[in-house]
Amino acid sequence: MKRFAQVGLLVLAGLGLLHTSLFTDEYLRFVKEGMRPLLIASGVLLVGLGAAEAWPVRRGDDGDDPVHGDDPVQVRGHRDGHADGHADGHGHGRSDGDGDGGQGDQDGGHGHDHSRVPRVAWLLFLPVLSLLFYAPPALGSYTASREPAKVVAVQEDDFDPLPAASPLPITLTEFTQRVQQDRSRAIEGRTVRMTGFVTSADGDGWYLTRIVISCCAADSTTLKVRVYGTAAPKADTWVTVDGTWHPGGALGTSSAAVAVDARNVTKVGKPSNAYMDAVPLG
Amino acid sequence: MQDTEIRPAAAAAEGGRGAGAGRGLPRHWPLMLLGAAVAPGLALVLVGRTLEEPAVQAWRTVCLAVTVQALPFLLLGTALSGAINAFVPASVFSRLLPRRAALAVPVAGVAGVVLPGCECASVPVASSLIGRGVTPAAAFAFLLSAPAVNPVVLTATAVAFPGSPEMVLARLAASLVTAAAMGWLWLWLGREEWLRPVARHSGHRPGHSRWTEFRRGFQHDFLHAGGFLVVGAMAAATFNVAVPRSVLDAFSGSPWLSVLFLAALAIVLAVCSEADAFVAASLSGFSPVARLAFMVVGPMVDLKLIALQAGTFGRAFAVRFSAATAVVAVVCSAAIGGVLL
Repeated sequence: MKRFAQVGLLVLAGLGLLHTSLFTDEYLRFVKEGMRPLLIASGVLLVGLGAAEAWPVRRGDDGDDPVHGDDPVQVRGHRDGHADGHADGHGHGRSDGDGDGGQGDQDGGHGHDHSRVPRVAWLLFLPVLSLLFYAPPALGSYTASREPAKVVAVQEDDFDPLPAASPLPITLTEFTQRVQQDRSRAIEGRTVRMTGFVTSADGDGWYLTRIVISCCAADSTTLKVRVYGTAAPKADTWVTVDGTWHPGGALGTSSAAVAVDARNVTKVGKPSNAYMDAVPLG
Repeated sequence: MQDTEIRPAAAAAEGGRGAGAGRGLPRHWPLMLLGAAVAPGLALVLVGRTLEEPAVQAWRTVCLAVTVQALPFLLLGTALSGAINAFVPASVFSRLLPRRAALAVPVAGVAGVVLPGCECASVPVASSLIGRGVTPAAAFAFLLSAPAVNPVVLTATAVAFPGSPEMVLARLAASLVTAAAMGWLWLWLGREEWLRPVARHSGHRPGHSRWTEFRRGFQHDFLHAGGFLVVGAMAAATFNVAVPRSVLDAFSGSPWLSVLFLAALAIVLAVCSEADAFVAASLSGFSPVARLAFMVVGPMVDLKLIALQAGTFGRAFAVRFSAATAVVAVVCSAAIGGVLL
């Protein structure tokens, strides 16, 4: 990889990270909020590295300019080019010149192979350019429909009494816990309000869904609440659902259906942090 | 000339063609001109269509997620490796580690506690340790234990398994035992020729600025490892999207199969070691021993690590080492999990 390509890659990678974490909040499609400072620091560091590489090198510091390769593959490359009509002999001559005018401690060409940045480094351009210009959306109904519903953590303590608000804003996690673990059946008959995106389901109804991550989007798990009583909106639409528990199984045990009878479904904007199971606003 | 460096063969072919074109226009040149005008646009539209497919979008998201999550830790690891190379004299390690290699292995394994971060950081560091004269067996013990036994990962494990501290203990013990066992196995069976020579970590050379050496080494290692990280992320994303999680239920019944299955899952999912405890906790249909195997194998062997190791130490090494590590890790976690859990 040539020096200007290395500079370009480092600077673009830094800018890509800064773009995704500092200038926008697109990083939330991939990782958790807590990664932001690390990503910004990495972006700054990469831009700095690129700038340092681009800086005109002082004489004496530098024996390993990437152009002056002395690894066998690269030299062979120059020779091939040579044989095929690059009659100026430029590349080859330069690598000879480096050998002669080098720092005098090139024992057999070792120790100077920092120029040997392998071709595989070009692959880094793919995620980098994708981050900059063509970021994919957060995981949605495609992933959710292929994952079983997440098993929510068991609440160790007793459940607090539910607030009196109606409709009651609640997260999908808490709704699932209340339905399947709360022996006091406090959720029975209450109108709850939850926000998530739409995933279609086989049979009756559809799923109100949230994808949550513990570190990055590769470890996503899905929370699902089945919604009855209204036609399914388009998949991946973000909606707020008001409804009451849909009777099925014994409430307060794991046999209880995690489902609601919807009274009202309204479209809402997509939250910037889609991977957090948050209560509906307002 | 740029192509000459990237891929010599292609450049040679192009050079030949360029020379031919110089002599006159090729035959059918209007057709070729038309093709050149239409083909890129057509390809762009087709590729664009494919990229909007939900499966491809999910793949791109997961692939980018693995890369973005790993990049800061990879930078940390390559900066450390660059710093070890440029600033730490080789004598420091020979003083710190016991002279006998068999003793150095467990010491290096325990020393893994000091590298906070996930597995991407440990590969370049281990490579630079070998370059500074540390015996490979000890460096490999460090490579394997560091991502699994550092305080960040152990805390995450304790948080993911509330009320079962024995899981943290079992993870710590199984990871250390596996790391030491692999170090000794290397002393017994390992061959130097499997390792690609790590000549580039030549240390500080007189007459050169240490700072420039550090920067160059850092940059080189980062670009190098970054490329392999992308390969690993792509492989992991492919499995992540192609294998639906509902397959898991089919294996959770049998105790032995479930251990093997979760170990295999850890390899293909390539979840970072700081998060794998949460993933393991969510696999509630499986026995604790199987989940322990997931957490022991994951930081030591996974697709992105195999790609990183193949890039750093060579393919011959990565294949043998990863296969052996996977077997040892499964055996250790089954044995230790059987006693503790």
